[in-house]
Amino acid sequence: MRDLVFVGYLAALLFIAFKRPFLFALVYAYVDIVAPQRLSYFMLNSVPISMIVFGLAFLGYLFADDKKDSRFSIQQGLMVILLIHCFYTTVEAAVPEAAWVKWNWVWKAMIFAIFLPLTLRTKLRIEALALFMVLCAGTLIISGGIKTLAGGGGYGVLVMQLSVNDGLFEGSTISMVAIAIIPLIIWLSKFGTIFPPDWRVRLFAGGFIFACLLIPIGTQARTGLVCIAVLFVLLLRFNKHRFLYAGAAITLGLMSIPFLPQSFTDRMQTLENIEADESASTRLAVWGWTIDYVKENPLGGGFDVFLINKIKYELSEFDRKQYEKWDIDPDDVDAGVVEDKARAFHSSYFEILGEQGFPGLFLWLFIHVGGVWRMEILRRKYKNTQKQEELWVAPLALALQNTGIIYLVGALFVGIAYQPFVYMLIAMQIGLVTYMARRSAEAKWRPIAKNLSNAAPKIDTIENKV
Amino acid sequence: MIGDGPGSMIDNFALALTHGLLLIAAWRLINRPDLDQEDPPEKDKRPSGFGAQKNGADWDA
Repeated sequence: MRDLVFVGYLAALLFIAFKRPFLFALVYAYVDIVAPQRLSYFMLNSVPISMIVFGLAFLGYLFADDKKDSRFSIQQGLMVILLIHCFYTTVEAAVPEAAWVKWNWVWKAMIFAIFLPLTLRTKLRIEALALFMVLCAGTLIISGGIKTLAGGGGYGVLVMQLSVNDGLFEGSTISMVAIAIIPLIIWLSKFGTIFPPDWRVRLFAGGFIFACLLIPIGTQARTGLVCIAVLFVLLLRFNKHRFLYAGAAITLGLMSIPFLPQSFTDRMQTLENIEADESASTRLAVWGWTIDYVKENPLGGGFDVFLINKIKYELSEFDRKQYEKWDIDPDDVDAGVVEDKARAFHSSYFEILGEQGFPGLFLWLFIHVGGVWRMEILRRKYKNTQKQEELWVAPLALALQNTGIIYLVGALFVGIAYQPFVYMLIAMQIGLVTYMARRSAEAKWRPIAKNLSNAAPKIDTIENKV
Repeated sequence: MIGDGPGSMIDNFALALTHGLLLIAAWRLINRPDLDQEDPPEKDKRPSGFGAQKNGADWDA
């Protein structure tokens, strides 16, 4: 039954999309984020659905779209270079089998992010992409939020739609994404034209944001808490009533503590005492290993190169006390030094450094930090605009900038350097920049041109006289 | 893979809610001409480019 509903739904979306081929790109985003083929039991699983929809999106652009307005930006160029570099490191990978598995989804995410901005030719398309991405993520977030409220959840326990531990379904990743999209939800609820602002939109947006804030509690991913703190600071930046707002937020935060599950507060306290946390010492050890590795292999070891690491780290003071409690001598070599292998990076910066070396890290930083920077330029340019039709630009640039910053902070602790959702956000940034560059050029009028056109007949008459 | 019990009811609720909104959005989009083609932007009040600074406001006259 569930399968039939999914097939019917997808068929309906695709049918609608045939009327306006840009919608195929949105359907691809839907397929990529929600993964209906994985949510269904059998029918959609056996069909390469994302490939078909991408093909339709590409053909739709090729044959039915106006390409004169498409622009290719530096960021897209950098993504092309990064993609080529990734292919090279995959061919030369230290762990070829694992590397090819990861390559198989990374290239799709990057190709789509390179392609998508070409189709973002109108304001409505940019808005539609934001709306689709946010609602698709909402499928997981709203479910997770309600379950958290109902008392479910726990680290690695909260199941949203699908009990797997990859992509957006992974706890830390969805926590970061849930917080990162809050600025976009706010923007859509204020400037949306597909669902114009009214009480229903505000009610839904409010509930949705609440669900987003609950995700880090439900998944107990500490990254999420860090992201909330970053969001809080970012929202203060341009808030007229910042003191009132800060006071209210802090009060609300403190008031919510008694309602948080004990396991959550326990886990979050490990943020204060980093020594107490074994995962912190393994991370530091893996990061040290990564730096040593790229010193010898500056071009990187290819995807999932962490599989070859063997790390040793000393027990923290906290662990030593714990051992003493258990009557084990912490100076005993076996207990004092922990040996581990194939530990994941737990940081996108070290992930990209280890896998793609220094060139990969620089390209990646240019793409992401560059995106945040471009949004700042755009925001400053349009913040005082007098044109009614441009009032939405600066707030969207700010929302995308905040989203980018939250990602860059969350990425410090989670290995999500190639997360497809994030590349779609990058594609939206690029789309906004190229769209506004074109509109701004179209809005200009140049006296020199007028001058020349006035001058033209005179030249003609002179020539006639000669 | 997919949970049963009350959890799956919540999953289905979230699925129905977001998918319903996505479908409405898609339907509204295909009826919007500005999805593919927009009106040209409002022209800048001040001229720009070569010669603009020198002659500036005169061009409005």
